[in-house]
Parts: sequence; C-alpha cells; structure tokens
Amino acid sequence: MQEIVESALFTAKRAGASYVDIRSIQREEEDITTKNGAVDAIKHTGSKGFGVRVIANGGWGFSSSFIATPEEGERVANEAVQIALASSKTKLEDAKMSDSKVYQDRVPQPVKIDPFEMPITKKILILLEADKAMNVHGIVVRKGSMHFSKEWKTFASSEGAYIEQERIVSGAGISVVATDGKEMQVRSYPNSFGGDYQRKGFEFIEEMNLVSHGKEIAEQSIKLLSAKQCPSGTMDIVLESPQMALQIHESVGHPTELDRVLGEEASFAGTSFLTTDKLGTFKYGSDIVNITADATIPGALGGFAYDDEGVKAKRVYLVKNGIFVGYLNSRETAAKLDLEVMGAMRADNWNKMPIIRMTSINLEPGDKTFDELIKGIDHGILMGTNKSWSIDQNRLNFQFGTEIGWEIKNGKIQEMVKNPTYTGITYEFWRKCDGIASKDFWHVWGVPNCGKGEPMQVMQVSHGTAPARFRDIQVGVLK
Amino acid sequence: MIGKERVLDILKNVISLSSADQTEALFMGEESYLTGFANNYIHRNVGGKDCSLSVRVAIGKKVGSAMVNSFSDDAVKKVVHDAILIAKNQRENLDFVSFAKPEKRKDKDFFVEATANCTPEFRAEYVSKILSKTKAKGFIGSGKFETNALEVAVANSLGVERYTKLTISTLKSVVLTDTSSGYSEYSSIDVNKIPLDDIIRESVEIAEKSQSPVPVEPGKYEVILTPYALADLIGSLSYIALNARAMNEGMSFLIGQIGKKVVGENITMYDDGFSRETISLPFDFEGVPKKKVMFFDKGVVKGVVYDTLSAYKEGKRSTGHSLPQPNPYSPYPMNLIMEGGESSKEKMISHVKKGLYVQRFWYTNPMDPRNTIITGMTRDGLFLIEKGKITKPVKNMRFIENIATMLNNVLELSKERKIIYDTASVTAPYARIKDFTFTGKTEF
Repeated sequence: MQEIVESALFTAKRAGASYVDIRSIQREEEDITTKNGAVDAIKHTGSKGFGVRVIANGGWGFSSSFIATPEEGERVANEAVQIALASSKTKLEDAKMSDSKVYQDRVPQPVKIDPFEMPITKKILILLEADKAMNVHGIVVRKGSMHFSKEWKTFASSEGAYIEQERIVSGAGISVVATDGKEMQVRSYPNSFGGDYQRKGFEFIEEMNLVSHGKEIAEQSIKLLSAKQCPSGTMDIVLESPQMALQIHESVGHPTELDRVLGEEASFAGTSFLTTDKLGTFKYGSDIVNITADATIPGALGGFAYDDEGVKAKRVYLVKNGIFVGYLNSRETAAKLDLEVMGAMRADNWNKMPIIRMTSINLEPGDKTFDELIKGIDHGILMGTNKSWSIDQNRLNFQFGTEIGWEIKNGKIQEMVKNPTYTGITYEFWRKCDGIASKDFWHVWGVPNCGKGEPMQVMQVSHGTAPARFRDIQVGVLK
Repeated sequence: MIGKERVLDILKNVISLSSADQTEALFMGEESYLTGFANNYIHRNVGGKDCSLSVRVAIGKKVGSAMVNSFSDDAVKKVVHDAILIAKNQRENLDFVSFAKPEKRKDKDFFVEATANCTPEFRAEYVSKILSKTKAKGFIGSGKFETNALEVAVANSLGVERYTKLTISTLKSVVLTDTSSGYSEYSSIDVNKIPLDDIIRESVEIAEKSQSPVPVEPGKYEVILTPYALADLIGSLSYIALNARAMNEGMSFLIGQIGKKVVGENITMYDDGFSRETISLPFDFEGVPKKKVMFFDKGVVKGVVYDTLSAYKEGKRSTGHSLPQPNPYSPYPMNLIMEGGESSKEKMISHVKKGLYVQRFWYTNPMDPRNTIITGMTRDGLFLIEKGKITKPVKNMRFIENIATMLNNVLELSKERKIIYDTASVTAPYARIKDFTFTGKTEF
C-alpha cells in the first residue's frame, strides 16, 4: 500500500494538485439470512481498492480503482486532477479547508470474539433456533439475519497524515410477518430493518439473545391482526428507545448536516430548515433536550478513531438545553462558517468521496424512569419499533409509523393498538418533549443503512436513546 | 472495459475450478463518473473503476455464495474455494432445484461509445450551460450529470453463457430560488441524446413559476401527476406487489387476484427489458433472457415476475427478473412500463375545475404494503389548477394514498411518456387522477 500512496501523492502534486489525500480499504463481509426454517443465503464478500481526492486549481476531483498497483495509483491520481481541473471551470472561489491537526496513528479494534473465527454452523444454529421460536401458528414469514464486517483502512494526505484503522462490525435481527389474508402485521427484534449493529465482535450477537425473543414478537404480530386501530387525534405519546433512534436520525441528524444546510445536497437529499442564522439561538426543543454528536462512544456503530479527512473523533453538542448550538461539518464547510471542525466526513467505501455523515447522534439521558413517563399521561399512546418513515426535503414535516402501540389511560399501559402513526413539524415536536428516561434505559442503536449523496452512499451511523415523552402530538390512523 | 472474450474466459475458469454440483459466475464491471453541482458550481466530481465477481455453487441442495472485486488468479481460486466452503457448511434449502438452464435468445448490447468515453470536460460543459441560465436568472443551480459504462456477464455449469455491455447517462437539474424549486431529469444510453435545452427550460420554468407559494388545505383533490410523480408511485409496486416474493410472503395486494380486474380499464402495465422505451438489460443476473411480463392488461391482473428459485417453487419458468443472488429483494421488475393514453398535459389541465399539479414526490414510503397505502411529500413544484388553468404555486403537502385505489381513479393518461431511471427503469405518462388524498402541510 505504501508504494501506491507514494505514487498517488507524488503524481497528483506533480500534476498540479494543491491538496491530495488517498484512502484505501480492504474489507471482508459475511451475510447470513434465514427464512421460514431454512437458510436463505450465506454470502462472503471481499473487496479492496483506493480513492484519490484532490484540489487542483481550486476545484475538487476524485477518482478510484480496484486495481491496487503503483501504476494504477499514478493513473488514478492523474485522472483525479483532470476531473478537478474540469470542476474548476465553474468555480466561484477556490475550494479551501480549515486547518486540522495532522496525525500519524495506527488504531486496531480489539474484540472479544472475532466474528470471522466463529464457525458459520454456530451462526446458522442461533438463527434457526430463533426461527423455531417464531414458528407460531398464523405467522407466514419468519426471517433472521446476521452481518459481520472487518476492514482495514489507510488514510494519507499531502499534509503528512498517515492513519491506519481497523473496523469490526457485528449485527443481527429477527422479524415475523403475520397475515389474516386482509392485512399484514410485522414485528422485529431488537429493531426493524436488520436489527442492531455495533462495532463489536460476536459477543454482541450473543448478548442479543435472539432466540428468547422469537416467540414474543411472533405472538405480538398475531395479536396485532385483531387489535383495535390506534385512535387518532391530538394526544401525548411515549416513544420507545428504538423509535427514538429513528426520530433523532431523521429530525436531528440529517438537518444538522452542514452540507445540506449550505445547499450541497439540494439535488437529491434536500436542504435543511436549520439555516446558519439559527446557530446558537434557535429553540430546537424543550429545555431538557440535549443532543450530542459523539464518535468516541466505544462500540457505537457511528464511531471511529479518525474520520475520512484524518480529523480525530470528537464529542460535540448539537442541541444544548434545547438551543441549537452545532452542526455536523467537514474541513471545507467548517472553513466557510469559520467553525471548529468536528470530524464527520466519511465515505462508505474506497470508491466514494467522503461527505458529511452522522457519527453517533444521541439524545442525552434524562432523569425519569419508564414508569414515570407513563404515569404522567392521562390519555396517550406508547409506540414501539419503527415501521414507516417519511419527511420533507427540508426536514420539517415528518410522519412516522411504528409496528406496535399500546394505549395509555390514567397513567397505565392498556390494550395493544395497531398501525400507530404520528406526524409533526420537527422543532414543534422537540419543543413538546417533557420527559426523557434515565441512563438505565439508554441504548446506542446501530443504523447500518443511512442513504445519502450522489452517487448514493450507505453509511453506518448510530443513535444513543432512551424512551421519551411528547405532549399534544397529532396521532393518526390507517383507514 | 475488459471485453467479452476475457470476461467469459474468467467465468469459464471459475466453473472449471469448481468441484460443486452446479456453479454460477456473475461478472459486473463498471466505469462510473458523476459530476455533481450545487450553489452554481461543480462541488463534487467523482469517478472510478470497480468490478465484482460473484460465485454461487450448489452441492446438492446446499447453496453458498462468495464475491470478490478482483479477477486475479489468486482471487478467482479463493472466491471459488470460499463459495464451496460455505455451501458445505450450509443446510439444505429444500426450495432449491437448479440454477438457470440455457435459453435461446440473442444477447444485445445497449452501448454507446460516446457515453462510455464521456470526459469530465464534456460533463462540465453541459453543467456550465445550466449554470449560465440559473445565474442569469438569479437562481441557484444544482444537480448531477452521470455517465456509466457497464459490463455484465453470467455463465454457469449448465451451459448458460451471456455477456452484454451497456451505457447509461443521466442529467438532472434542480433549480432553487429563495422560495421555490424546480426539477427536470432525463436518462438515455446515449449521452448525445440528453435534451439539455429541455432540461434547462423545464427546471428553470418550474422554479420560476412556483415562487412565493401559498398554503392550501389538505383534503381530496383532483391531481395531474407528471411522469416523475407517477413513476415514483407505480415504481413502489415493483417491490411491494409485482413479484413472486411479495406474493409468497403475503405482502402483495395481487394475491388471489390473477385474472380479476382490480384497477381501471385504462391501466396497462408490464415489464419489458427489450422495449425501446426503457433502459434495457437483455438478461437478468442469473443469465435468463428478459421476458415481457404483463401485470395489468386493461385493468385485469395477469401475473408477476419470477427468478429461478421462485419459479421452480411454483413449477414455472423464470421470467428473467433475478437480481444478483443471493438477494432479499429478488425477483424485481427492472423495466416497468405503463402504457399511455390519448391525452396531453395541456388537455388534462384544461379539464380540471379545481385540483393540483404535482411535479414530483419525495420520500415516498409504504405505510401498509398489503393495502398499497403509501405516504410521501410533494417537491420541486406544486400548483393549484382552477377552471382549467394553473393559477398559483402551492406550498408542499403530505399525501397518503392507496395506490390500487388510485389506479381505479385515473381519468386520463397522456400519449407522452418519460423514462425515469434510478436503479431500475420506470416509464410513465402524465395522469389525471380524481380523489387523491393530501393529509398535511409543511412550511415551504
């Protein structure tokens, strides 16, 4: 790799680049899925390659290749400069980046159990035992999945950075579909859309205890078929921790991305209502709402040692005591607003140019117990795992649906309700938060599938959340 | 591009190295370039080469898969070894019968040299023309200009041997003003057939006309959906309804409806990978030639798409709609086409007493797939129509709509259709639809 790095850095500089970085990744992945008592698929994937990012004549360029040779490093570096020079034909000003400390470091990731050392047979056994537990009369689809990845990433820049870091990820989940021929109901554990993921070894899968939760979700999905529809109207809601992860992701994570705010994602993902005049003054939520971007949480899927610009992982506030105080930024966007760079630039692989991504975006724990959240409600809904989501391109009007809900009456959880949905305007919603459960109820959820950018990149991020209560929310119902 | 002869040699080598009962090898190579622009300049300009070699083996009914992005001798040996090792440790999949068997149909390339050889300077020139217009108007130009050259080849130990090369180019323009946005997009295998002037005109015109929008109350409205908006909605049926997986998993609203009329008589919808009105791929990722599959013929349900596994399970033949295996989303219609009618956009507008013109939807997501209930937002141009004329721009709104019901409420379809390409191709006309349900508003 060292030869390719040297070749690419030298070639790009010689071709006229004022800044160059090169990032190589070697990655191994394993995916196992089961369905209705059988192994649906097992796939092993190996990939490697490198990408070169440059600034030349004030424009950005990026090129990449899967052929890891010094000669290809030279070709790719030249192409990156050619692309940058084409970019510069439309420039309004020269691209520039904020200063950042330059590191040389090597960061392995120790895990208790290397997931690639664990026999496939054992992984299959866990999923099929969970499948057996979900095999309740009335269930038409039972699914289970595990994902493991291990990568070694090298980042080097013309400023002198040379950082190597390892990343090992484990994730798993199970789900069921029940139908009575007219409607279908789904339940998942520990979360929907693939379960839960962390930067840990196979020990994380063992901690999940998939098998012991199979029967519970199967029975719940069948019960949902005959459950009453979630009532509609304005009422109080409590969101369980997994749904809070989605709420934070869509209505805090994305709108605080500074590239969106500055219009750089207008073509696809959209922009953001969090315009720069709001920084430091805008009332984002109630006084108890504190939201951090923290890439330093051990094991969190959105964490790392250094981002893909070589910036060391940090913990910063996005919302403090309800006031909007910080953006997710990059060296370039930080320079535009004269902000301190906080390290949120990541690419999903070697063949993509880094863009601003969520790290671990967390609602800091409050001081309530779960029971206290419920006790404070005369009439409302407790909502569980996410089922559907939609939000406008400025991240204001959202509508989210959950797999399951329970009516709350007079401070007590009552009967199960189906098809719960709620809708609101982002900042109005967060201003109605009047209770957050304590750290005893707090969990960092791994979200492996955050899509953003053109070309599309799918990023691993995470959200530390506890259940929270919101007052006077528009709750809807499917009819 | 690596070339047909070499790629097929790689795949034959994979098969010769395998000791499994059946072996399938899929090669995909790409040279992809994207020039992204925002704030009236090129801000993201990227490209590169990648490939993947996927090997699937079957030992009895035990199936294993491995993939690598290299075709060096060592990589090929390892990927075959890994796939076999996985299969040996696998349990039997009782649904598995066989990989695809060879079928006679000539392959066809959908490849244009000009697209494959498109330079960053060419893309920058096109983008500059868009930005000249937006700057002159005092607007902000953003979008992407993408050119891709792809090679796809499949071979298996049963005798399947297929290779094609294709190109795709897409130019998208999203124009922003202080209070509005406009949108236009076009995809073609030939970069020289991208209608740059039309894209500039449409995106700038919509942005200009939708400035200073006013709110209207949610409720049921007669709507005119552009092909962009309609493609978004009918495209969602590809995943939740129009495939054998959705039928088997109890998700599709077409379960038990084959042969019955479930949508309006003016609705004919099918998948056809060989049509001139789609971005084509002549065979699927198992090497099965694409077959035309009718979903709705004048409103009557005719069928869904299959891959090899789902077809064997029902004693049928694959329709050539496999995604790269293993894949939880397979089979999938990649070339969805809705037939148009005899109307035009202008005629439709003139027929609306009071309604809304929707340029585009955004973040559409199924709330209840079994009942085809979908929510989403409008974006990049929403207008009020009164007495047959567009009268004013409207602030964006949230909709919740039952797509099956909507397809019974289509009043008119245009002759003109557009090909909308993302990861799959959807061809759709303009449509005038009654009783479309909007449920909420936003601030812009």
